[in-house]
Amino acid sequence: MKKKTKMGVRASSISVSTTEALLVHLTIGLGLALCFSVAHNVHFISLTSHPSQALGLIWAFQCPTVILLYSRYRKDQERCSYWKAVGRGLLGLPAGAVVNALGAIALGAPVGIQYLPKTINWSLMMSLFTIVPAASVFGSSWTDWQRIFACTKPNDPVDYMICLPAHGVVIGAWFGAWPVPLDWERPWQEWPVCVSYGAIAGYLVSLVASFGFILVRQHVKGD
Amino acid sequence: MGRGIWVHWVMMLLHVVAIVMFTRGFLLTRTELPNYSKCSDVSESPCFFPVNENQDHNKVRNHTDQNQGRCWSKPAIDRLVIIVFDALRFDFVAPSTFFQESKPWMNKLKLIQELAATNASSARIFKAIADPPTTSLQRLKGLTTGGLPTFIDVGNSFGAPAIVEDNLIHQLAQNGKRVVMMGDDTWTQLFPNHFEKSFPYPSFNVRDLDTVDNGCIDHLLPFLQQEDWDVLIAHFLGVDHAGHIFGVDSGQMIDKLEQYNTVLQNVVEALESQSAPGGLHENTLLLVMGDHGQTVNGDHGGGSAEEVETSMFALSFKNPPSPIPAEFDTSSCGLDLDRRNICISSIQQLDFAVTISALLGIPFPFGSIGRVNPQLYALGAGTWNFEDSAGNCQNQPKLDEWMLNYVNVLCINSWQVKRYIDIYSAASVIGFSREDLLHIENIYAKAEERWSHTTKTLLLQKKESCDALLPALKRQIHEYSDFLASVAELARSKWTEFDLKMMGTGLGIMLISIIIHFLAIKKVKEQNGFSFTSPGDSGISFGLIFACFMVVIRACSFLSNSFILEEGKVACFLLATTGFIKMRSSIMKKKMISEAFAFLLLVTICRFTIQVGLSKQVPSSESVNAFPSWMLMMTSVWNFVADILPVLALILLAVLLHKAINRSSSEGIWKYIMLGTNLSYMLIALYWSSESNILNLSWVLKDVGRNCIPRLVYAIGVGQLFLLAINQLFIKQKSIDGSKNLSTKAVAMFSVWSSTVIILLGKQGPFIALAFITGGYCIMRLDNVELDGKDGGGWNLMLDPVPVTQWSLFAVCLFFCTGHWCAFDGLRYGAAFTGFDEFILLPQAILLTMDTYGFSLILPIFGLPFLVACRGQTEKGTQPILVRLSLVYMIYGLIMATSVTATILCVTIHRRHLMVWGLFAPKFVFDVAGLILTDGLVCLASLYYFSRVEDHVLHDPLK
Repeated sequence: MKKKTKMGVRASSISVSTTEALLVHLTIGLGLALCFSVAHNVHFISLTSHPSQALGLIWAFQCPTVILLYSRYRKDQERCSYWKAVGRGLLGLPAGAVVNALGAIALGAPVGIQYLPKTINWSLMMSLFTIVPAASVFGSSWTDWQRIFACTKPNDPVDYMICLPAHGVVIGAWFGAWPVPLDWERPWQEWPVCVSYGAIAGYLVSLVASFGFILVRQHVKGD
Repeated sequence: MGRGIWVHWVMMLLHVVAIVMFTRGFLLTRTELPNYSKCSDVSESPCFFPVNENQDHNKVRNHTDQNQGRCWSKPAIDRLVIIVFDALRFDFVAPSTFFQESKPWMNKLKLIQELAATNASSARIFKAIADPPTTSLQRLKGLTTGGLPTFIDVGNSFGAPAIVEDNLIHQLAQNGKRVVMMGDDTWTQLFPNHFEKSFPYPSFNVRDLDTVDNGCIDHLLPFLQQEDWDVLIAHFLGVDHAGHIFGVDSGQMIDKLEQYNTVLQNVVEALESQSAPGGLHENTLLLVMGDHGQTVNGDHGGGSAEEVETSMFALSFKNPPSPIPAEFDTSSCGLDLDRRNICISSIQQLDFAVTISALLGIPFPFGSIGRVNPQLYALGAGTWNFEDSAGNCQNQPKLDEWMLNYVNVLCINSWQVKRYIDIYSAASVIGFSREDLLHIENIYAKAEERWSHTTKTLLLQKKESCDALLPALKRQIHEYSDFLASVAELARSKWTEFDLKMMGTGLGIMLISIIIHFLAIKKVKEQNGFSFTSPGDSGISFGLIFACFMVVIRACSFLSNSFILEEGKVACFLLATTGFIKMRSSIMKKKMISEAFAFLLLVTICRFTIQVGLSKQVPSSESVNAFPSWMLMMTSVWNFVADILPVLALILLAVLLHKAINRSSSEGIWKYIMLGTNLSYMLIALYWSSESNILNLSWVLKDVGRNCIPRLVYAIGVGQLFLLAINQLFIKQKSIDGSKNLSTKAVAMFSVWSSTVIILLGKQGPFIALAFITGGYCIMRLDNVELDGKDGGGWNLMLDPVPVTQWSLFAVCLFFCTGHWCAFDGLRYGAAFTGFDEFILLPQAILLTMDTYGFSLILPIFGLPFLVACRGQTEKGTQPILVRLSLVYMIYGLIMATSVTATILCVTIHRRHLMVWGLFAPKFVFDVAGLILTDGLVCLASLYYFSRVEDHVLHDPLK
């Protein structure tokens, strides 16, 4: 009940049907899978062997998909054109990368010239999954940002599509960092390989979760 | 007494009991005795039985001469070459046919197998069994003292590893043997002035496979041609380092082994060429041995078969007259790759010191509990001239002569071990149990009786009873061996085996104490109506779950040695995570965002400082030399800045403290306290500038000042504490304004301790202190984020555990930031000598504790009231704020106890782990010491902060 009234207030956002949400989630998920298969079969690299290139491949491949898809769900559609939203997303990519990189360094990511390309590519990828969708959808609306990232109070399906994957990626990356200090001396323990694996796993799980939430919500609304 | 101060005392008691129990079971201790064996001691023994005394006249003269020259036993060899290959696995030496499957690293030391197969009587391979801990230092100590070094040898000199117990090298030096050492510099650390000549090479750089070995090779061969030494020790490190870096199954390891084979070939050639009668090496014994084994990954330290099984190869250049009787031969024989028969005996490393002493004819090390090994001892028998003494019992083979000698040596051996056990159990606090001693006593008495009544008589009447002699000797040898074996067994059970019952009890008490702690918090909380949730919310708050998660995940991280190694980084990671969470909530409330950023920045700085500190753990001399010349120019500028900055930071700190104390109260005693602190800070600044040479102040306080100033600072600190105590006890406090009073007290306490801690920490001190204040301020401010928005009444009674968790994590980070880590080389011994030149135990121990735990325990615990005081500025009365403080102390204590319990649990699980002595045990010692100190400090703090206010509370209407 409470949520319905809130929905009434936020009339400017467009509603997303279940099938549409499914399509978006599938596109993003399959896009990620495609990235891995291209990396593996065409370029013969993996995240473990060439972390920098593989991460670069992922964000470069996923960037158009994510920005183009999410820009469709921009808020206040009458004042903001589609291409403006795309532009905001593109701007959000480096800005978010800086935020992610700083966060990672505060948490203990190694700093050094040999890690620079890896860190840059990793934070671009993280930015693509966390900040970019929100940048495309919300633009400079501070209250929306605050609602999604600080309060974690998603209201409509678009909010879920932004909020859950972003949190999933961060939490996944956080857990992914735990194997780094272990003395197993495996190549995947290097920064940022297992952190990226964690982030991607978290992302995929939260994609499923966000779709599930949307499904449940639609169901409740339908009742 | 709803406040539960008693909880702290109960907790302290429980923790101490638990830790004492656990430590008794886990940290095996042994007391080092200061006694030394002397040549003349042997006259006290029942044994010194001149073997050939009743011979014809001219020979008696001959032998009495010999007896005067000879010490405990008849010397069998003149010179000894010991080549130590560090971490020499048994299967490096033994032929691969002795193992189930052939591995690439086997059969590389071909020369040894060749010699052992072709001259079976004068060359022999031993399987040498080491005792854990199998680290080089402990093993060298064990090899030379003939004892079982434990993790903590009580009496060990503070910091310096030099061996103070009686040992083989000491005896060699005392008895005029010239010892030459080359290779691993551990030897020179252990024996700083025992060597005639030494050529030490640094051993710490594990990646360097060749420096030590090449140094050895360069000096070894020339020395073999010289006459001016009696014992030569060459310690090669390449195999150990290759194992650590590349593992046993690696090309580098095989290269190293092949290189060693060549070295051995050269050595044996050089020795053999001079081994003719009258030659330089006529009576020389060559020993090639390992100090411990290693696992296939190259680790060692623990007690697994791969680590304790090393090998020894002995080569004498004279053939012993005949093999020793089969009863004493423990060897197992088999065919090698070329189908030659090869025999391998076994020896305990414990027996090394005493056997070598017996061979060289010097007194056995006082604390040795080994037995003279028959096979190794027999290899020296070839050098005795038996011909002249064989005449007295015509039908007797030379074998009997050897046995006679051996039985005499064993007699001295048993007497010496018995003497050690007696004196040890008299001198040591934690000695052997009465039953064990009685058991040993009985065996010894039996053997002794046989010796003095039967065997001695038989020997005296040798001529008549030649046939009876041999079995009697054999029986005697058996009895002595029995005695020595049971002593060794007892010593092993005492010094190398964990007492699981004790450990389990300790752990159990620890777990119970945590439960009691938890229940006490719950009770006090409910009694006073506090809750962990914000008013309105029901159930468990996010903060509580998050705080528990942080504590538990940190506790779990101790399960792995890697996480213990990187503990500082882990703590920083968790602290940064809490910082992010706090930032999130501050963004949510749109308040104090700058504080959240400042905190994250601080954590990032901490993180880099910890990294610098960790890199110091691996000492690298290259980094200093690697600076190009222009960097030197920079360094002079940098030096100047580095001299000025700490002083500036100190001034800033003084100003901050002054402001803080002025804000809350500016009268009476606090003024004097501040005055004292300011004076201390000035003295510290003076001290630093006199050390550096900017102001040319060094002449001012050249000799006196160096010690005077720190002592003055300590004295001021003690005086201030005294003043506080007087104030606490005798002067009535008028102020009832709880929070103000509390923060004044806390600032005063901080300023009292800070000066001493800062001077101990050196120039990093003021920066860390500033970081500490900034961090504390941010944590405190961020704690208020969630509260201000809520309505007045409810949040007064809300207690968020996250800031306390942050505070404790921050304290852990500061421990690592100040350049400490949980290992004994992580102690900053230099700090203990600030203000002192010579070693005095008590002040040095106190200073070292203050340096180690200054910023990680002492200041955080006394500073905890900041978290409480500043939040409660609108509160009325003292009651809620003191209850809150008490709860905060309890939570802090619980967090510490949880992590220490986790450490104890992990140490128990990993007690057979490779790194148990290298990593888990030091971590355990640091944590346990920290926990007891925490308990003590919490109790003191509760006395200081609570006691006087108690009176008001009694009259408080709220109560």
